[in-house]
Amino acid sequence: MKPRKRSLLLALAVAGFFTATPYARAQEARVALLSGITGPIAGMAPAMIASMKLALDQANAAGGLSYGKLLYQEFDDGCNPQIATDAMTKAVNVFKATAAVGPGCSGALLAAANSVSIPAGLLLISSSATSPKITTLDDKNLVYRTVPSDDYQGKVLARALLARGFKKVAVAYINNDYGKGLADAFKAEFEAKGGTITQFRGHEDKKPSYRADLAELAKGGADTLVLFDYANSSGLTILKQAIENNFFKNYVGADGMRDENLIKTLGADNLKTFLVSAPVGEAGEAYNRFAEAARKAGIDPNATFAATSYDAAFLVALALEAAKGDKSKLPQALRAVATAPGEPILPGEWDKAKKLLAAGKEIDYKGASGDLEFDAAGDVPGSFALFGVAGNTFKELQKMN
Amino acid sequence: MILDFINHYLIPGLISGAIYALGAIGITLIFAILRFAHFAHGDLATLGAYLVLAGVTATALSPWALLPFALFATALTAILLDHLFYRHLESRPKILTVMASLGVALMIRAIVHIIWGVDPQLYQTGVIPPSTYGGLLLRPREIATLLTALSLVVLLLLFLHHTRWGKAMRAMADNAELARICGIDIRAITRLTWAIAGALAAAAGFFLAINTELHPLMGWSALLAMFAAAILGGVGRVEGAIVGGLILGIIEELSVLILPSQYKMATAFLILILILLLRPQGIFRGKIL
Amino acid sequence: MDLTLLNYPIFLGVLIALYALLTLGLNIQWGFAGLFNAGVAGFFAVGAYTSALLTAPPDPERILGLELPVAVGWLAATVMAALIAWPIGKVTLRFRADYLAIATIGIAEIIRLILRSEEALSGGVRGITQIPRPFGDLPYEAAQLAYLLLSWSLVGIIYWALERQVRAPWGRMMRAIRDNEAAAAAMGKDVEARRLEAFILGAAIMGLAGALYVHFMRAITPEAIDPMMVTFLVWIMLILGGSGNNRGALLGTALIWLIWSASELLTDRLPAEYATQAKYVRLFAVGLLLQIVLRWRPAGLLPERLYSIGQKG
Repeated sequence: MKPRKRSLLLALAVAGFFTATPYARAQEARVALLSGITGPIAGMAPAMIASMKLALDQANAAGGLSYGKLLYQEFDDGCNPQIATDAMTKAVNVFKATAAVGPGCSGALLAAANSVSIPAGLLLISSSATSPKITTLDDKNLVYRTVPSDDYQGKVLARALLARGFKKVAVAYINNDYGKGLADAFKAEFEAKGGTITQFRGHEDKKPSYRADLAELAKGGADTLVLFDYANSSGLTILKQAIENNFFKNYVGADGMRDENLIKTLGADNLKTFLVSAPVGEAGEAYNRFAEAARKAGIDPNATFAATSYDAAFLVALALEAAKGDKSKLPQALRAVATAPGEPILPGEWDKAKKLLAAGKEIDYKGASGDLEFDAAGDVPGSFALFGVAGNTFKELQKMN
Repeated sequence: MILDFINHYLIPGLISGAIYALGAIGITLIFAILRFAHFAHGDLATLGAYLVLAGVTATALSPWALLPFALFATALTAILLDHLFYRHLESRPKILTVMASLGVALMIRAIVHIIWGVDPQLYQTGVIPPSTYGGLLLRPREIATLLTALSLVVLLLLFLHHTRWGKAMRAMADNAELARICGIDIRAITRLTWAIAGALAAAAGFFLAINTELHPLMGWSALLAMFAAAILGGVGRVEGAIVGGLILGIIEELSVLILPSQYKMATAFLILILILLLRPQGIFRGKIL
Repeated sequence: MDLTLLNYPIFLGVLIALYALLTLGLNIQWGFAGLFNAGVAGFFAVGAYTSALLTAPPDPERILGLELPVAVGWLAATVMAALIAWPIGKVTLRFRADYLAIATIGIAEIIRLILRSEEALSGGVRGITQIPRPFGDLPYEAAQLAYLLLSWSLVGIIYWALERQVRAPWGRMMRAIRDNEAAAAAMGKDVEARRLEAFILGAAIMGLAGALYVHFMRAITPEAIDPMMVTFLVWIMLILGGSGNNRGALLGTALIWLIWSASELLTDRLPAEYATQAKYVRLFAVGLLLQIVLRWRPAGLLPERLYSIGQKG
C-alpha cells in the first residue's frame, strides 16, 4: 500500500471513529458505570457491575424511560485516581454520559469528581466509596452515594457489640480509607460508650504472615477481634491464621467481610463465633426482591456492595425518568425519587414508578440496601444488621441502630 | 512466654523467610551469572503457584503431588522467556534486560489475570489447627514447607559444589569471560541457570500459596523482599540468599513489636538500604555489581 | 463537529504533559547521567504533597494547609523534591546500576508507606482534598483548555532549558561520565558531584510533575503514587521513546499514554465479559510492545543523537 493511501485510510478511520461516536439525543439517556475492574477491589467489581446492569436492564425490560432507552457502558476506574480521571473524562466526553454510577473507591472518586464530573456538571452516585471525605466534598449537589459513610457503620457496630456484652475488644484494620475510616469511627464510639479497646493496629495487605500481628493484638487480653478488612484480601488471611492458632474466641467484621466465599473457604464450623455487620433494607421485602432477581441473573446478592450498586443504578434510572432527560434537573429529581414523602417503590418496580411519575405523583424508592434517604451532603444513614453464620450463608441476628 | 515468642514470631518468620529464600536464590544466581536484576521473578513465582492450582482443578490430586510438575513447567517457562526476550539483549546495556524483565512481569501477570481471575483462591479449603510438639505449634504444611525448602537447597548446594555443571555455573558467576575461554558452554549454563531459578521461583510461589492464598499479585508483592534477601546474603551466594531470606522473614515478623504493622513492609527496605550502605558485599561476601 | 469531543483529547494532552515532565526528569538521570532511579514515584509524591499542603485549606487533623498561591506551591514542590533528593542521592549514588534501582524503589516505598500511615502529615489514607486549581473557576471546557496550555508551557520551558543544558559543556561532561567514568575522573571531573547534580535536577522536575498533578486532580490520596502507574510506566515510556533524547522521551510518553488510555475506547465497546479481559490484554500489549521495541529498536524509537561532534555549544 502506498504511504499516501495508507494515511488517507488512517484519517478516514479516525474521522469515522469520532463521527461514529454516538451523540446524546433526547430519546435516550446514557449511564456510565465506573468500577474498579482492575486494581485492589477487582474481586468485588464483577458483582457490582452485574448488579448495576441488572437494575438498568430491568428498567429497559419494563419499557425503559418514557422518552427512550437507558444505554450504559462500563468503565474501569482501577481504584486509582489517574485511571479513574481518565475513565471519567471518557465517560463525560466520548460516551456523553448523562449520569454516572461510581467510581468504586474513595480516592478514585475524589480525584475524578473534583477534576472532571463536578466541573462538567455530571451527577454521580457511588455504591462503594465510603470515605467521610466525600461528605465534605464541595460537590455542587452532584455527588451522592448509596453506601453509608464509614462513620455510620463503625458507630452502630460499636453500640451493637456493647449491647451484646462485648466490653473488651482488639481492633485490626486494613490501612486504606475503608478500614481506617471504620476503625476510627468504631474506636471513638466504643470507647465513648464505656468499652475498652486493648489493641488498635493497622496492617497492609498481601503479606505472607500476620501471626506476629495477631500475637500483638491478643496481648491486651481481649477475647474478641474486630477486623475491618475485605474477605477477598488480607481479611481472609488474618481470619484464617487467627482461627488456626486460636488467638481469639470471637471475631467480628464489617460488610467487607460478609462474603459467602469466606464460609466456603474456612468452613461454617469454624465460624460459629463470627459476626458481621452489613447494610440491610428496612423491611427486608426490598432486599428479597433484589435477591431473587439477582440470583436469577447469576449474581450473589450478598456479594459485597452488590445491593448498594443495584440501588445506585436503579436510583439513577428513576431520577432520569423524573427529570425527563434534563441534566440540570437531575440532582433535584434524584432527591425527590429517593426520599420521603411519596409512594414507596421497591427494587424492580419500574413500571409502577414510571406510571406514578407520569401521573405527577411523588415516589420514594426503598432500596435493597436500605431506605436511602439522602441527607444534605448526599449521604445515606443506612440501616445495618448484625449477621451470624448459619449453614453456608449469613443469617440476620438483629437490627442495629 | 518464650514458647509464645517461638510460636507466633519465630516460626511464621521462618516460613516467610523460607519462601523469600527460595525466590532469592534464583535472583542471586541470575544476578551473579547473567548480571541483571530479574524483575519478573515474583510473577514467575505466581505462575508456578497457579500452575499447581490448574493441576488441582483438573486432576483433584493433592497439590503436593503436583508440585514437581509445576517446578518443571516453570523451569521450562523460564528457559523460554530467556530465549524469547532476554537472550538477544545479552551484549546490550543491562538496563535493557531489566526493562525486558519488567515487560515479562506485566505479560505474565496479564495472563494469570485472564486465565484465573482476580479472586483469591486456595488449593484446599478449611482450617487446619496446628499440632503441638512439646509446646511448639506446627502444622503439617509448615513442617513440609521448611523440610522441602531445606532439601531443595541442600540438593542445589551439592549440585553447585560437586558436579561438573555446578562448578561451571560457579565459574561463570565468578568471571564469565574467563569461563568462556576455558571452554564452558555459556548457552548451556545460561539455560541451566534459568531452569534452576524458574523451578525455585515456582517452589516459592507454591509455598506462599499453600500458607496463605493464591492471588495474581502475590509474587510481585514479595519481589522486593526477595531482592533484599539476595543482597543481604551477598549476590551470587546461595547460602547467603537462604540466610538473608530467613533473617528478613524473622525481622518482618519481629518488627510489629516496635513498629505499627503498616510499616512491616518498610523493614525489608530499611534493612536493604542499611546493608547496601554498611556492607554492600552482603553477609557472605558476595560480588558487588 | 461537537466541540465537547475535544475535551477528551485535551484531557489526554494534560496527562501527557504530566508524564512528559516525569520522563524528562528521568531522562536527565538515566539518559544523560546513567543513574538507574526506580524511585520516580517517591519524588512525584514529595512534590504532590508539598504543593497540596501549602495551597489547600487547613484541616484540624493534619499540619499546614496554608492556602498559599498555587505558584508558591509549585515552586516549593520543586525545591522540596530537590531537597529530599540531595541526601538520598548522597547516600545511594555510590551504588551501581541495579543496586541503585533497588535502593531507590525501597526509598520510594518507604515514602509511600509514611504518606499512607502518618495522618498528621499527609491526611493518611484519606489524603488531601479541596486543593485549588489554576483557572479552576472557569467553565469546564475553558478550565481544561487553560490547564492544558499551562502544563504544556511548563513542559516547553523545561524542555528548552534541558536541551540547552545537554548541549552545553555540562551535558557533554555528563555523557562523558556516563560512558567512561574512569576517563572523566582522570580528566579531573568531579564525577560524584556531577552525578548528584543530575539526580537532584531530575528529582526536582519529578516534584514539579507531582504539583502539576495534584492541582489538576484537586485531590491526592496515596493510591496516586502507586509505583506501577508512576515509576514503571514512566520507565517504559522513556525506554520506548529513546533514552538520552528528550524528543524521544516526549514521543514515548505520548505513545504509551495514548495506547493506555485510547485503547479503552475500543475495548469498552466489546461485550462485558470481554471488556474486563481486555484490560489485562492491554497490560499484556504494553509488555509485548516493550519487548518488540527492545528487540528491534533497542535504543528506542528516537535514539540518542550525537550532540557533541560538529555542534555549537
